Amino acid sequence: MNNQKKVEWSKLDNASKYFPATCDEKDPKVFRIACELFEDVEPEILQKALDITIEQFPLYKSVLRRGIFWYYYESSDIRPTVEREDKPVCAPIYRKNEKNLLFRVIYNKKRINIEVFHALSDGTGALWFMMTLLYHYLLIKYKDDFLEKKPELNYNASISQKKDDSFSRYYQGRHYRKQAKTKKENKNPGKVYIIRGTRLEENRIKVIEGTMSAKAVLEEAHKYNTTLTVFLSALLLLSIYKDMPVRKRGNTLVLAVPINLRQFFKSETSSNFFSIMNIPYTFDDGNTELKDVIGKLDESFRKELTEERIYQHLHWLMSFERNPFTRIAPLPLKNLSLRIANAIADLGVTTSISNLGKIKTPPEFDRYIRQFSVIPNVRRPQMAICTYGDRLVINFASPFRETEIQRFFFESLANMGIKIEIASN
Amino acid sequence: MIFCNHCKVYIRDGKETCPLCGNILSDNNNGVKGEEIYPEIPLTYNRHMVIRILVFISVVAMVVSCTVYKMVPVNVNWPGLVFLGLVSVWLSLINVLRKRHNITKSIMWQVIIVSGLTVFWDWRIGWRGWSLDFAIPILCIAAMLAMYITAKVMKLSARDYISYFLLGGLFGIVPVLFILFDLVNVDLPSVISVAASLVFLSAIIIFHGESIKAELQKRMHI
Repeated sequence: MNNQKKVEWSKLDNASKYFPATCDEKDPKVFRIACELFEDVEPEILQKALDITIEQFPLYKSVLRRGIFWYYYESSDIRPTVEREDKPVCAPIYRKNEKNLLFRVIYNKKRINIEVFHALSDGTGALWFMMTLLYHYLLIKYKDDFLEKKPELNYNASISQKKDDSFSRYYQGRHYRKQAKTKKENKNPGKVYIIRGTRLEENRIKVIEGTMSAKAVLEEAHKYNTTLTVFLSALLLLSIYKDMPVRKRGNTLVLAVPINLRQFFKSETSSNFFSIMNIPYTFDDGNTELKDVIGKLDESFRKELTEERIYQHLHWLMSFERNPFTRIAPLPLKNLSLRIANAIADLGVTTSISNLGKIKTPPEFDRYIRQFSVIPNVRRPQMAICTYGDRLVINFASPFRETEIQRFFFESLANMGIKIEIASN
Repeated sequence: MIFCNHCKVYIRDGKETCPLCGNILSDNNNGVKGEEIYPEIPLTYNRHMVIRILVFISVVAMVVSCTVYKMVPVNVNWPGLVFLGLVSVWLSLINVLRKRHNITKSIMWQVIIVSGLTVFWDWRIGWRGWSLDFAIPILCIAAMLAMYITAKVMKLSARDYISYFLLGGLFGIVPVLFILFDLVNVDLPSVISVAASLVFLSAIIIFHGESIKAELQKRMHI
């Protein structure tokens, strides 16, 4: 019997705990970040770049395992390999009883895609992985162009910063509880509208990717004196409203918006650090003026996006995790309760919009990269946005065959005179 | 890029129809078709064909045995036995399939399932005690052997098998209860099982004590 190397393992952070319990065939909790280059991807170089990148992101080398009380990551020596795209978009990654890495790198023609199981990382974390991968890829592929000056990677967190569990770092402990109770003040939003449709076969998702000029859309948003996210949210809600059966038009639409907590709390973690705010909206008296929708939404966004509200939410999430009764409940019981809680929460959300913001690469890379795009994990028709240079990419992903809402949405943008390029799977 | 006149958008990826409105795109506006961006992935239909065939055979077996029993009645309820047999096979099969990526775990569970089934069978066909006398002790010994061999052959690392070895060893001691409470007519298999488990357990604790500790810490963290 030989001596075994000591295996490293780590606990999951607060948000990560939710995903393995609630993922299933219908919603595998996998999202994708894609980068489209101007030239075809060379798999051998991509593999080399991946081999370097993985060493800088030790968490990405881990597999997810089940303990008696909680899941945990265990480091593995599986070498990730780049694959040609031959699976449906965002196909399941994590499977119980299988020891696999929690992400995959796939390529097709000009695109490099990484698909990540959400328990490993959120959009921002995965984007940093993507940037590092791209950095090494471009540096190897076009090494002659960078002989004189190597561009600088603008993400320089240390390994321990990348692994940081920022939820527990910023949790102030139970004494905060008194104030946090105000969470309950949320008034009942009434009956929430749920989008129904015909599911695609094999639980696939329909992706419609619209690319347009960021400047043009921002100009439109500024006409209403608002931000890009609020502007697009308003258009999304209006498109859903147009598609709603008349008898349900009184129902509330609830928009879930993930918030990157790194903006509020200093953190460089490449694992999860986000929270979600739910914005309810009702089209009372059928007022579909874009201006009024934006006005009301703007106000709700502002109310939710205060540091205090965000901390309350973080505290609320953490106090569940720290509760002694939760802690000693065996994992299957936790999974069951999370699944039930999740199913109930799902009934309170109509759609979601997630903006990854402006993606910045070293300026030397501009002539190799055409655009980025993000495909969210899909539970319901929902949207993910990101901007690179002037290319704003809006990805509309849906588990349903119907594309009415998508059509209304892109049509309303086109009617403002914005040129939209559509790609789909 | 081809322009869709209905939706007022350009289609980037050379599709024949507009993904938004479903209309066929006309070529008359001289756009150049782009190359595909998302590759077409064919559907995979017959993935679980073997399972389907097995389910079908099971159903047919059940129907046929009931029909024959109806036509040629005897005083043994043998369709019931067929049913029980099928349930047993399916329980084991499902376990093996679901845990096929972790063989030691699969063996561990198999011992528990099959032990339960043998006791049930023994009880259903008139308690003769063979399940406790022979089946369970022999199963325990076989499981320990099988786990050891898989671990060696597949060159598993200690952390992958150690907890199942531990459980397997502990389970192998259970027959001591059969002897203590005088549940068995034949002692020998139980005695051997207990002795083998003790040796097995002491070996893993002495040689892999640290691994066990680390593994328990990991799996039991709260």
